[in-house]
Amino acid sequence: MEIATKLRADAAALLGDGRVKLVIGYAARGARRVPVFISEAPKVEVLMWDATCRQNLAAYLSKPDLKTLRPVAIVASPPVMRSLVVLASEAQIEDGSVVILGLDESGYHGILDLGKTVELLNAVCKGQGLDREILGRLEQIRGMSPQERAAFWASEFAKCTRCYACRAACPACYCARCIVEKNVPQWISTAAAAHGNFAWNIIRAFHVAGRCTSCGACQAACPQGIPLMLLNVGVTESVETEFGIRAGFDPDAKPAIGSYSLEDKEDFIR
Amino acid sequence: MTTTETVKDTAGDVFQPRLVAFVCNWCTYAGADLTGTSRLAYAPHVRVLKLPCTGRIDPLFVLKAFEGGADGVLISGCHPGDCHYSSGNYHARRRWAVFRRLLSLTGIDERRLQFSWVSAAEGQKFADLVNRITDEVRAAGPFDPSNPARRLPWK
Repeated sequence: MEIATKLRADAAALLGDGRVKLVIGYAARGARRVPVFISEAPKVEVLMWDATCRQNLAAYLSKPDLKTLRPVAIVASPPVMRSLVVLASEAQIEDGSVVILGLDESGYHGILDLGKTVELLNAVCKGQGLDREILGRLEQIRGMSPQERAAFWASEFAKCTRCYACRAACPACYCARCIVEKNVPQWISTAAAAHGNFAWNIIRAFHVAGRCTSCGACQAACPQGIPLMLLNVGVTESVETEFGIRAGFDPDAKPAIGSYSLEDKEDFIR
Repeated sequence: MTTTETVKDTAGDVFQPRLVAFVCNWCTYAGADLTGTSRLAYAPHVRVLKLPCTGRIDPLFVLKAFEGGADGVLISGCHPGDCHYSSGNYHARRRWAVFRRLLSLTGIDERRLQFSWVSAAEGQKFADLVNRITDEVRAAGPFDPSNPARRLPWK
């Protein structure tokens, strides 16, 4: 438990001398891994980390209750780090207000600021492509006829109960008022019917286009097992091939959708 | 229009597609107006909706159109470099490059969502475009009411 010992020591030190008000990390509850929010140094003993800690803690940074508790320290593996870089590029993290306790399967990387996190990410993860298994399934789906694709998604979206767990789990979904809660006009039907489910799932995937880091938190949170990562990876793949942009590696990056280049392809426009 | 004779709707009549065109105020709407003032005849299936700019066209508009029964959607605005607001069409181009693939992945035939640049001087282009798109959507057939993008009628 080398990682946990160092992690606890750093967390205790940060809380002890008042450098942070809160530490967000993982604790074990039986076989499950749950988020913990620690504000007193003696309580850091519950902190732990292993490869099964898959929840993306960066999602908590934008929750209204926690927004005021900064500076904050956050336990971050590379997927969480990428989300933090996206949040920084979108001006959601003020300079120095988030301290990163960086770690991955190779070990504990210590207390990192954003600059060092970016260095680490670019060294460790830049070369990693998208999930091959998901890309394979996407290729399969794209090979179907439009009717077959529609039937596949109809059966998937039919399961959706619109609990919005996907939104709650996503670090990129931080709008104070989400489009689905705006009802004048009601763009996305809240009726328990197929068309509302379709619009919601499509718009959720599109609103994180070029911002999604493929961490998988939305799909893991979905109680109905809808393969949301197929949509996310499909969109991320388009953004990469069309504009050569990968989210979560550059805190000064412009948003992929929301900026433009004069050289953008327009082979689909007549 | 060879497809006119072959594609029938559920009632057995010739399928008349419903097209929705979201066009910008400054170029394509003026172009479509020129089509009319030039007395150019074109397929009468398109409902033209004027917006300030292609940059104003939210993907939700497209979803809403399909939900409400459109068989095809056209989005059209100023040529690159001609945008009245200087960059709205560039922003739109980026958005649609991604969104059209997402809709295709989720089961909407690519023929049903079309994009074009039509300037205020291109009345003939608008007429030809609507004719061609009408043909293509007709070939794709009526948009299946069981598609998850469609709002099911009351039973």
